[in-house]
Amino acid sequence: MTPVNAPTTAPPAGRAGLPSEPAASSTAVRRRRRTRGAVIAAVTVLLLVALMTVRVLVGTPMVYADHALRAILGEQLPGISYIVVESRLPAAIIAVLAGIAFGLSGTTFQTLLRNPLASPDVMGVSLGASAGAVIAMAYFGAQGTTLFWCTLLGGTGVAALVLLVAGAARTGTGGAVDNRFVLVGIGVAAALQALISYLMTRVNSQTAGDIMHWLIGSLSTSTWDRVRILALALLVLVPILAALLTRLRILQLGDDTATSLGLPVPRTRIALVLVAVALTSLTVAVTGPLAFVAFLSGPLARIIAGRPSVSLAAGIGALIVLAADVIGQNAFGDVDLPAGVITGVLGAPFLLWLLTRGPSPGEGK
Amino acid sequence: MTVLETRGLHLAYDRREIVRDLSLRLPEGRVTIIVGANGSGKSTLLRGLSRLLPPRAGTVLLDGTDIHRLRGKELARRLGLLPQTPIAPDGVTVRELVSRGRFPHQGLFQQWRPEDDSAVASALAATGTEDLSHRLLEELSGGQRQRVWIAMALAQQTEVLLLDEPTTYLDVTHQLEVLDVVRDLNRQRGTTVAIVLHDLHLAARYADHLIAVRDGEIFAQGTPDEVITVETVREVFSLEARIETDPVTATPMVLPVGRDRRTPDPERISAPERTTGTERTEHTPDIDPADEREHHDQRDEHDPQEGPMNTAVTTQDQFVTTQDHLVPALDHSAMLAFDLRVVARRELGPSLVRMTFAGADLEHFGTNSHPLDLRIKLIIPGPAATADHFATVRPDAMLDPEIHADWYRRWLQIDVEDRGWMRTYTVRDQRAACHPGNLSDLPEIDIDFVLHLEPEEIPGSGVAARWARDAKVGDTISMLGPNRHLVGPDYGGIEFRPGTARTVLLVGDETAVPAIGSILEALPASISGHALLEVPDGADQQRIPTHSGVQVTWLARGDRPHGELLDAAVRELMSENAQAFRDTGDEVAHAGPAGSHTGAADGAAGGAADEAAGPEELEDVDIDATILWETTTGHGSFYAWLAGEAGVIKTLRRHLVSELGLDRKQVSFMGYWRHGRPEN
Repeated sequence: MTPVNAPTTAPPAGRAGLPSEPAASSTAVRRRRRTRGAVIAAVTVLLLVALMTVRVLVGTPMVYADHALRAILGEQLPGISYIVVESRLPAAIIAVLAGIAFGLSGTTFQTLLRNPLASPDVMGVSLGASAGAVIAMAYFGAQGTTLFWCTLLGGTGVAALVLLVAGAARTGTGGAVDNRFVLVGIGVAAALQALISYLMTRVNSQTAGDIMHWLIGSLSTSTWDRVRILALALLVLVPILAALLTRLRILQLGDDTATSLGLPVPRTRIALVLVAVALTSLTVAVTGPLAFVAFLSGPLARIIAGRPSVSLAAGIGALIVLAADVIGQNAFGDVDLPAGVITGVLGAPFLLWLLTRGPSPGEGK
Repeated sequence: MTVLETRGLHLAYDRREIVRDLSLRLPEGRVTIIVGANGSGKSTLLRGLSRLLPPRAGTVLLDGTDIHRLRGKELARRLGLLPQTPIAPDGVTVRELVSRGRFPHQGLFQQWRPEDDSAVASALAATGTEDLSHRLLEELSGGQRQRVWIAMALAQQTEVLLLDEPTTYLDVTHQLEVLDVVRDLNRQRGTTVAIVLHDLHLAARYADHLIAVRDGEIFAQGTPDEVITVETVREVFSLEARIETDPVTATPMVLPVGRDRRTPDPERISAPERTTGTERTEHTPDIDPADEREHHDQRDEHDPQEGPMNTAVTTQDQFVTTQDHLVPALDHSAMLAFDLRVVARRELGPSLVRMTFAGADLEHFGTNSHPLDLRIKLIIPGPAATADHFATVRPDAMLDPEIHADWYRRWLQIDVEDRGWMRTYTVRDQRAACHPGNLSDLPEIDIDFVLHLEPEEIPGSGVAARWARDAKVGDTISMLGPNRHLVGPDYGGIEFRPGTARTVLLVGDETAVPAIGSILEALPASISGHALLEVPDGADQQRIPTHSGVQVTWLARGDRPHGELLDAAVRELMSENAQAFRDTGDEVAHAGPAGSHTGAADGAAGGAADEAAGPEELEDVDIDATILWETTTGHGSFYAWLAGEAGVIKTLRRHLVSELGLDRKQVSFMGYWRHGRPEN
């Protein structure tokens, strides 16, 4: 008789046959999950602080930490006070605020439309805001507040157009509507790109250069005024978004389930879109459309945390913008590359990877 | 108590009206099940009953208030609906999902209160999902996931709960599990439940009140007994069916006949399934012995001279037969008789021979699937055969459905020397005409024969073995097998049903080698385990190709008593690998009670055999009087399948179930024959 020993390797039953975990290990899973969340949050905050410090201290000229601290605390240090307080510190803060805004906006869109491609930058909302700004700059020489209103108008206009065309405001069968939303968005984005290119040919080369620089997305023009505007926008929008998050979670279950849980689906969807569009548009007005930040934050947060996390997406957004700015400022010798170039270079491969990877439970397709 | 009713309800998508002028009232505190064909408007109706689809005209009233006048959350606190395909969010745990069911009970700022906690806890408890509460939804099986969705709807704590096809995509065990949860909820909390279901059989089992919808209108409503009639089934589902009483729940059971097919006699449908008596040795359960019409009738018609020879079967029936009653056998009989000719004979070993048969009729043979173990009957001719006793079930024959049903009883009454002997075999290979492996131009099948020759030739005993020993190329034989035009993949001859099992143990003597060989060839790669085969001689070993990871062990008996080696090998294997085989898992324990429903719901022989021969008394059955035969659908990760000589199989089964304590559902066993006992 042949020796018999194989079945000790009893194959693990498929998911279907998986015995449920005993309660003890279940709480262990829960504890592990919580610990992991805390560790990730702590690491994110530490990284943010570290990158901000680097952004303030490193560059030409290098600044000592104690000098920087003294400058920030109000002491006048010739040559250092201006660089630290008026240039680098607002840039670092704007990087963080812009990253948070893009991260929140992107992950809201992606969750709302159940599609990792559906971020405002991929779908044309950022471009709509940009087009608004370009028109304002090129034809009206707009600055400051007017520029803000124009970007907001542009972003909202595009969002409204996409909503209208795709019929996403209507309660209907989940999936099809959401894909249509993305496809319409991409179409609108292409049209806007053409419009912007056309506008660029109609202005003098000086203005075109300025617009070009802004279109790439840069933090080099950061001022405390801009910090204040962006901070104010976030102070208003982030609490609204936080209040809407529970509703977003209900909406995630599909329109039918959400409706039968008593959620007014079209109204909630429009409210969420408006908040997300406002976050993106106002940030675009300050920094220009930093390509792919909104698109990358949510999926990266999901990969890192193992599950979707809105707060982590905000943190990741901030880290991406800060890191891109630090790299752009320091990594290429004398040449200062705008942060938008770096995020674009990082984002494109990720987009391709996401497209070729195929559907996975990870992205909530 | 809450009353949900509609008055003159019209529902439409765009301009297409789906539901017309419908007035109904869900009985309070009852389970109402809405059935109807695809596109009949039953799901639309459910959407209209909740607020998912605003009515074109008419109203939906909840305790007399139009639901469209209630605020969203207010309605959601009283009326819940679980859509057919809720979208599972990414990375959500079971508890988080169920907690979302509390949304309508929370204010603008979502403060979480103790009663929310207790509602979630009781919803998890009611659906048996507490243990899963910290697991991610995407890690769960379909059945578990569906229970979690129901838990979410329960956490909503509504007085009325609507469920849209909650059992879609679930296997039968999980379907029952989900419906049991819903019914318990109804019984314990008094929740008024309405379910859209397309399975009529389950609907009849679980409904207090049944509504049959056709073309957006109520065709019939009432208790299942009132609603499930041949007429309703025909009108609502365009289906010809018989209505029988479910042997498990005594509710009506729909047995589809298929369009334009006549139903055979009811005796036929129920009798073989429930039989555990000696008839088993005649192998009735394997083939639908569909045809009763005796050849004698025809012979009487065509050649009256021969009539008197068949005194035993001459009945009145024969003489009332007229051409008017005749229908083509091909359209009517699930079983056909095929004329086969031996085209090749190959010795596989001293005790096994593979015969290749060809026949033009085989074009009508098969189950439209590749069953694990396709069984047929061969008619070993008697020494004094007078005629073709299966003339009416030849593929080109006509038969009389009136007397079609109890052919088997009549056949048994014919003198054995005349009718011959019926024996069951497994088809090892089936090849259509023009298959490159064919030896002839006709379709072919392979059948393995065990040459279990007895030292003395006793008439009536060992006839099949002797026929196989003497058969040569060119010999002919009749075979009874499934009619490809009427028989589907659920053909009753397949007794191997591993269910969820991934480790199998196949045990058999030489009589089971063809069946186990056929099973091994069909098993997928995901299955592993062991096959133990005892054969008379070392030379009887064959190479059995298999994709699976099952390890085949051959045991050569030599002069030892039949089954001794097999018994020892099974014991050794089980003791070496006790852990692997005894891994029953939660799934098994859980499926326990539902499992017994499963078999019967399948309507398969296995389930009915469970019923008839209960688990306990089986230990003491006199296997000479009662054939040993119990097949189950596997649950859990391990499934054992034993076949061969009844005494050996009984001992092995006792070892596995009584001594090792395996779940009875994990062991199927078949006593094919009994040592020293001639078959009829």
